[in-house]
Amino acid sequence: MAKNRRMRPLSDSVLMEGRNVWTVNANPGVAVRGESLRKFRGVEHRRWDPNRSKLGAGILRTRNNPSDLLPRPGSTVLYLGAGHGTTVSHLHDHLCGTSNRHRGRLVAVDLAPRCLRDLTHLAEARKGLVPVLGDARKFDAWGVLIPSRVDWLFQDVAQAGQVEIFLSAVRRFLSKDGIGLLSLKAASERHQDGGDADIFAAAIEQLSDEVELIEHINLTGFEDQHALFVIRRR
Amino acid sequence: MWLWYSWQSAAVVNDDGDVLDIEFNNARFSVHAAKDRLQLVANGHMPPEAVVLSERFPDAKPTAHGSDELPDFDLPQPTDNQIEIADQAALLLAKEGVAVSAADPNRRLEHLLRASEELRTLHLTMEARLIEWVGLFLPSARFDSNRSQVASQLRDVDSLSEFAALLDVEDAYEQPSEPEWKALHDWAEMVSNQGRQLDRLEHAIRLSAQNHLPSISMLVGPLLAARLCVEAHGRSRLARLPSGTVQVLGAEKAFFSHLRSGTAPPKHGHIFMHPWISRSPRWVRGKIARMLASKISIAARIDAFEGTPLTKEDVDQVEARVEAIRKEFSKPPRR
Repeated sequence: MAKNRRMRPLSDSVLMEGRNVWTVNANPGVAVRGESLRKFRGVEHRRWDPNRSKLGAGILRTRNNPSDLLPRPGSTVLYLGAGHGTTVSHLHDHLCGTSNRHRGRLVAVDLAPRCLRDLTHLAEARKGLVPVLGDARKFDAWGVLIPSRVDWLFQDVAQAGQVEIFLSAVRRFLSKDGIGLLSLKAASERHQDGGDADIFAAAIEQLSDEVELIEHINLTGFEDQHALFVIRRR
Repeated sequence: MWLWYSWQSAAVVNDDGDVLDIEFNNARFSVHAAKDRLQLVANGHMPPEAVVLSERFPDAKPTAHGSDELPDFDLPQPTDNQIEIADQAALLLAKEGVAVSAADPNRRLEHLLRASEELRTLHLTMEARLIEWVGLFLPSARFDSNRSQVASQLRDVDSLSEFAALLDVEDAYEQPSEPEWKALHDWAEMVSNQGRQLDRLEHAIRLSAQNHLPSISMLVGPLLAARLCVEAHGRSRLARLPSGTVQVLGAEKAFFSHLRSGTAPPKHGHIFMHPWISRSPRWVRGKIARMLASKISIAARIDAFEGTPLTKEDVDQVEARVEAIRKEFSKPPRR
């Protein structure tokens, strides 16, 4: 059925098949949030739903090489604003794999106990995932879990001042030449004047002052009023 | 001079990034010991290694790992085993945090209140169905005055004829079949149970609100207090809201329609439930709502900071204000 579609591996465990992204299920037989499971060459994959994951949407939308958006398998990464763990689970598939065979570490921070409830269940089935109940801004409280700088950092917090939080996280935790992704929700910056475009323009300016902005990915259609910014630390 | 510390190690660093002294604990920690240390650091305290160094270097400024004030220096790295233990400890700590979040009265109140709302809607729908259902068979019965008793009366009888006799009306011309009667009887039993469940839910809400929101409960009653708290997403947020927002809390549709298309602004949201407003003449409701909302705001702040709750005398003063407003504007304004 998928024979005429173009298959393109983005990594050992991430597969692009036409307009669908699939990750090798690190916890076989279990769908995290009801996503489709399918076997490719006998290996079970989970569909990465771009409507539920801004990173998933970014992979489909980027004009650059989509695998550049992903961290190196087996590295330590920081994820601020982990939510219920949809994106986190796919990231874990890529970064850690079954029983953490790549030996990766995914430190996932969220403030809401309700989200952490789902994340702790996820962490029990997925080795290498480290859930943290804490404020993404209060680095002092959980920063000790990141002993050395990371090469990849993702932030998706829906609160005012997202860019400032992101830049200070980059300053503290991202290594030189490390890749940072900021998912910016325009609706959370309503205290600023102007429409979404102005808010995104202001963010671009603020980011460019300090880091190298690689790409601004518009997520309209997948997640309205959101944009994904990809940066590299100078 | 900086005193850098992590959960198991500490170092004194000067402004140039030279390490002057170091305390590194390379022990194999148990998960629980590591959890205690992570918690210590998360709460802003220093681990024992840092305490030792701070005695040696009292001038060094204690700074937790990750602060961007620190100069770059060669951090002492934890061992692989320590990282693994810390990860397990972090999971334990997260689970504990999630478990403790059930202590939050705001969350508990929200479930109680939403449950009572859902049950009330269900109850009213099912009760209406019951009355229509019985009325089909007993067309001469009138239920206008005792709607709420129909369910319990029907539950306690064994046949529709018995119910007709109880109500002193003509027996049904068309009798329901046996299974049909059973279904109707079950329905009545369910409706009457819902009545009791609602009472129990509201009792729980009252107790919880009087505990969590003593001042607001004293001022406007525990049920309204609970509703305001839940609508504001918690007690501390309610305390931070301006009283103008408290006034229209629950009237979001009218309020945003006002902002968008300039319709008349709402004068009251949930606080309309209070008899001071709903039982006042239409033309003073806005004035009383404004005054009452400001008093609720004060009460919310008392509750949020756990001060001395309002007393009956304080509430009497507010009631006197309500009376004064009603008296001052006893006539409708001329158009």
